[in-house]
Amino acid sequence: MTTFDFLLQGLAVASDPMILLYALIGVTLGTAVGVLPGIGPALTVALLLPVTYGLDPAGSLIMFAGIYYGGMYGGSTTSILLNTPGESASIVTALEGNKMARAGRGGPALATAAIGSFVAGLLATLALAFLAPYVVKLALVFGPREYFALMMLAFVTVSAAFGDSAMKGLTSLFIGLALALVGIDQLTGQARLSFGLPELLDGVEVTTLAVALFAIGEALFAASQGNRAGDSITAIKGSVWMTKADWARSWKPWLRGTAIGFPIGAMPAGGAEIGTLLSYAAEKRLTRHPEEFGHGAIEGVAGPEAANNASAAGTLVPLLTLGLPTSATAAILLAGFQQFGLQPGPLLFATSPQLVWGLIASLLIANVMLLVLNLPLIRLWVSLLMIPRPWLYAGILLFATLGTIGMNPSPVELSMLLVFGLLGFLMRLYGYPIAPAVVGLILGPMAEQQLRRALAISQGDWSTLVSTPVAAAILSAATLALVVPWIMRIRGKGAVLAQLASDED
Amino acid sequence: MIPVLTATKRRPDGAALIIAAGLAALGAVLVREYAVIPDKGGYAGIGSGTLPCFIGFGLFALAAGHVWTAFRTEAEPIARPHLGPVLWVAGGLALQILLLRLAGFSLASGLLFALTAAGFGKRKLWVTVPFGVGLALVIYGVFDRLLNLKLPAGLLETLIFGG
Amino acid sequence: MKHTLLGAVLAAAVALPAFANDYMIMAPAAPGGGWDSTARAMQEVMQAEGIAGSVQVQNVPGAGGTVGLAQFASTASGDQSQLIVGGYVMVGAILTNASPVSLADVTPIARLTGEAVGIAVPAESPIKDIKQLVEMMKADPGAVSWAGGSAGGVDHITVGLLAKAAGIDPTKINYVAFSGGGEALAAILGNQVTAGISGVGEFLPQVEAGTMRMLAVSTAEKWPGTDAPTLVESGYDVNVQNWRMVAAAPGLGDEQKAAVAADIDKMANSAGWKALLETKGWANTYLAGAEFDAQLAKEVETTTAILKDIGLVK
Repeated sequence: MTTFDFLLQGLAVASDPMILLYALIGVTLGTAVGVLPGIGPALTVALLLPVTYGLDPAGSLIMFAGIYYGGMYGGSTTSILLNTPGESASIVTALEGNKMARAGRGGPALATAAIGSFVAGLLATLALAFLAPYVVKLALVFGPREYFALMMLAFVTVSAAFGDSAMKGLTSLFIGLALALVGIDQLTGQARLSFGLPELLDGVEVTTLAVALFAIGEALFAASQGNRAGDSITAIKGSVWMTKADWARSWKPWLRGTAIGFPIGAMPAGGAEIGTLLSYAAEKRLTRHPEEFGHGAIEGVAGPEAANNASAAGTLVPLLTLGLPTSATAAILLAGFQQFGLQPGPLLFATSPQLVWGLIASLLIANVMLLVLNLPLIRLWVSLLMIPRPWLYAGILLFATLGTIGMNPSPVELSMLLVFGLLGFLMRLYGYPIAPAVVGLILGPMAEQQLRRALAISQGDWSTLVSTPVAAAILSAATLALVVPWIMRIRGKGAVLAQLASDED
Repeated sequence: MIPVLTATKRRPDGAALIIAAGLAALGAVLVREYAVIPDKGGYAGIGSGTLPCFIGFGLFALAAGHVWTAFRTEAEPIARPHLGPVLWVAGGLALQILLLRLAGFSLASGLLFALTAAGFGKRKLWVTVPFGVGLALVIYGVFDRLLNLKLPAGLLETLIFGG
Repeated sequence: MKHTLLGAVLAAAVALPAFANDYMIMAPAAPGGGWDSTARAMQEVMQAEGIAGSVQVQNVPGAGGTVGLAQFASTASGDQSQLIVGGYVMVGAILTNASPVSLADVTPIARLTGEAVGIAVPAESPIKDIKQLVEMMKADPGAVSWAGGSAGGVDHITVGLLAKAAGIDPTKINYVAFSGGGEALAAILGNQVTAGISGVGEFLPQVEAGTMRMLAVSTAEKWPGTDAPTLVESGYDVNVQNWRMVAAAPGLGDEQKAAVAADIDKMANSAGWKALLETKGWANTYLAGAEFDAQLAKEVETTTAILKDIGLVK
């Protein structure tokens, strides 16, 4: 049988009404747990895996796929509506998505996230089915030096995307980098900045910082402003659905997000965060509406959401083709697969094609179910924002702490929420951007570890960083991205200054 | 912003100076970390302490930048905060941390709910506390009992949901 | 439609444990890792075999399990219904993190599963056997880069022991720590390092597919599924097993301890547990009672010595 026949066979099995019902239940349960801030797809799947035990293999496989996709999408909903990212990969979604929701455009934001996730999930799952063996070969070319180059590229493009005031942006970034140092140094086991507290040895959780800076800092700031204008939340303005213009502005970011997210997700040390950050930077650079970025640009939701879902399918590439679990989520998926007698590894596609194609078909079905569940719910979600402010913010705080409590109810972890919440409040008060701090926390450790790994392997020879064509090319691209805007600015100083003057607000 | 033409006697921007001091202090902590960490890198040549040192000096540079702007430019107007409401909300969070283990999830979170609502002007605690505790109990029931997410139980949870 | 859906959701939910709480197992790690899956496997089998009415799993992640261990030692004292999962990694973490709470502060019951550590090279590597690799290390320890799991973990310890057994200064090994088995494996497959060290189970599928060559395993006996020699056979006195265990609360009376040990024994000998080990690909290295206590004491001693030699513990 050819690849295509296997896929059709899998889809035929999966179109049984009972199977579809299991998919819907899985998606619902996954969304219910996945919405909790700080509880990402890995924990969601781990918690809900026992639910699938009692079912027949086909049913449990599809419910499992549903839980996985539901857990992933749940994080976006709360990012957009409540500014509480459910997982590190949906932090970027909160940036523009929550601004849209506050301006009464929560409906289109949720819709572009749902449809974008669907499109990306569909394309990436197909890419997984047909391209996995080739993609994985490319992914293995990436070693520490190539990853380091990639991190540098991410740093340069992402900080350019956030760099409205250079000094304030850099301050925020360096605070994030400093926080990233807390905990055990992965490479030597040396504890850094842990001040004798064992709870600090594992460092600052990205979602804890994001939820604290975004949601709690925001709540404190809103409270401090009393009922002044500028903070009003409009639940619905205009259509709840995406308008023609929204579609026109969304489809390209969906495709670009997929193209960025899938290969980076497939890299063993890539991860979803980098993909979403790069997608955001790309959209900000390419948009025809740069003035809307920072105030709720739909491209800034569409691209990163697509990248997030595409990278999830990307994670399955090394998992299914090499048996390499490259993230916590992948590790828990591996445990799940073993439940179904699926032993991921280099020979999987050859030895048990039925199971692989059954899984891929399940992922496609779960993807459809997610859309079926979420599109009708958008109106309900959006109307959450009509709750009067005292109740709404009280609910947000209850919810924001719930995720942390469920994950790790230690007083130290909760105190971090409070302290970083206050930090977020002060940063807002004095006009420091929040996002670079989170970017620093995500990228800092990755860049450091890859650099030190590369140097350890080369025994301290720095030329190793440009010794392969891939690494050299990416580093040159990063250098260009840093230098070119700077040169342009100097050459066209007059024009740029004039533009700056007219931009002032 | 309208350019300020009248040359008034400028006072240095106090907030920027305080932030500069904070950044310098953080930088000092990091550089000190470099000094106390024994590992100097092994084969890589850069060890556990290198990056803290690098970021520490970066923070020093930013602190210097803040001092420079503090004396050179006018302080940006900030949205003057009311501190009372902030204390209500922060107090709610602190109370939740203190009570979570002792009183269980629902009571601690219900109080957080009520104090936050109070921070936003809803001061009727006799309404918001029972509502918050009730809401938290429902959440506890759904997540702990149905969805297997372990939440700290106290007297209230044990009474209602059993051991 | 709505009603059937609701019914199905409720039916699925009711299937979860919700009533009496016979055992509470702490997994001192985030969901998804080895300890978590061990705890959840125990939960499944103890319920299915009727050894306990209800079993719950609680995750307390942090610092190689020492955060969970400290919490367990202070809150569970005297409570027969509480268990904690742990393993060899915890022995190392207690030492490297200078944890104030150690395994002596809980009541170890039994070793449940274990795995050999394997040493492998990419298929296209010129290195044919473990002797050749060790000779390369002797000539220039820095030139042999090792990819493995986190610093101070079982992989790192094994390389240190191997170096020591071969008469090489353990502080001179060029060990490159990766975040997880998957990332380390990718670095080996991508030919980024000289050799790799990780759980045998991670290497076996690659060896079968012909992309890697296993040079040696770390246990005293050969490991099922591979004909790679043991380190002892190759002339290096190294015997390491990455095991997982279960411990009970501190402050239990002899009778209470015996009752817990009996329950665990029943579980470990049940058909359900053996079947589950089979699906998960875990080796049954069940060891309980005085033998386990003696083995544990010995391992703590050798681990302390090697971590000092590598320079991770002062």
